[in-house]
Amino acid sequence: MIPEGRSTVESTVRAVLRDVLGLSQERVDAFTESTPLFGALPELDSMAVAGVLTEIEDRLAILIEDDEVDGEMMETFGALVRFAAGKALV
Amino acid sequence: MIDRYDWDGGQEAMLRFGPDTGPVMVAALPLLEEANRTRSFVVGLLRALASRGIASVLPDIPGQGESLLPTGTLTILRMAEALQAVTDRFHAEGRRTYALGVRSGALLDYCALHDGRWHLSPVDGHQVLRDLHRTWLAGHDRPPHARDLTAMMVGDDDPAEIAGNLLTSDFLSSLSAATPFDQPGSPRRVVRLASDPRPADRTIDAAPLWRRSEPGDDPVLAAVLADDIADWLRVCEG
Repeated sequence: MIPEGRSTVESTVRAVLRDVLGLSQERVDAFTESTPLFGALPELDSMAVAGVLTEIEDRLAILIEDDEVDGEMMETFGALVRFAAGKALV
Repeated sequence: MIDRYDWDGGQEAMLRFGPDTGPVMVAALPLLEEANRTRSFVVGLLRALASRGIASVLPDIPGQGESLLPTGTLTILRMAEALQAVTDRFHAEGRRTYALGVRSGALLDYCALHDGRWHLSPVDGHQVLRDLHRTWLAGHDRPPHARDLTAMMVGDDDPAEIAGNLLTSDFLSSLSAATPFDQPGSPRRVVRLASDPRPADRTIDAAPLWRRSEPGDDPVLAAVLADDIADWLRVCEG
């Protein structure tokens, strides 16, 4: 995996969470690999998950199949970045 | 000012901004939930256009928003016909019209004889369906054999309930083939946000208000877009 690409994916995912969930820049800047997302962020309900995934698709020009979406990929910030990077950096 | 317009399916409300003469921008909000998220922003944009001397209208789209017709009972063609009735009225007054389409609102201006089209982050109908499908899946647990797009569009539930809206299979099918009007010889300008990698005439660094779960506003973006439209319109009008 290209480290530079990984950092682009990470900043894209951070920006998507900020824009879709209406979080402040400071709040998303503080997200680390282990920051819990789904179930821990009240803004991230099941409807918001749909918006987050679609926006990640648009910004990274990737396609996320619905059978790939599970609780695990949204469990932490790190897991979501790993999932997106696995799609975007091939 | 609040006005009304007639079309062959009834009568709808329409907000009017700016002068009573000169060309008119006919604005179309995105379909469904994104309309709620962008309405204040678009009204702000149209006010900003009025302060630049540009007339515009924001017609309610039948079967959307405040319309008394049930949501999701019409097809894209019927909605486009309603907006055509709006432009016909201005053409009868000798005024030229230009479309101002936001997101899936850009799918609704193809029947009208506009002199040009200005689109903000336009999407095609298939992308709208993908969004709806994802929301539909998030709303209910569904058995594995009834989870795909076809199951949503023409499944046992017609209309399908998606995020509180009842959407008919006719409406969903009409979406699947819809694309923004883009024909050679007809002026079209596409503006997108910098985070959107799709082709555009201009990109602007801003957050996508249409994705926010809570409606927001961005007066700075509205001012930048109003300037962009004013410059473009000046070129179109020669």
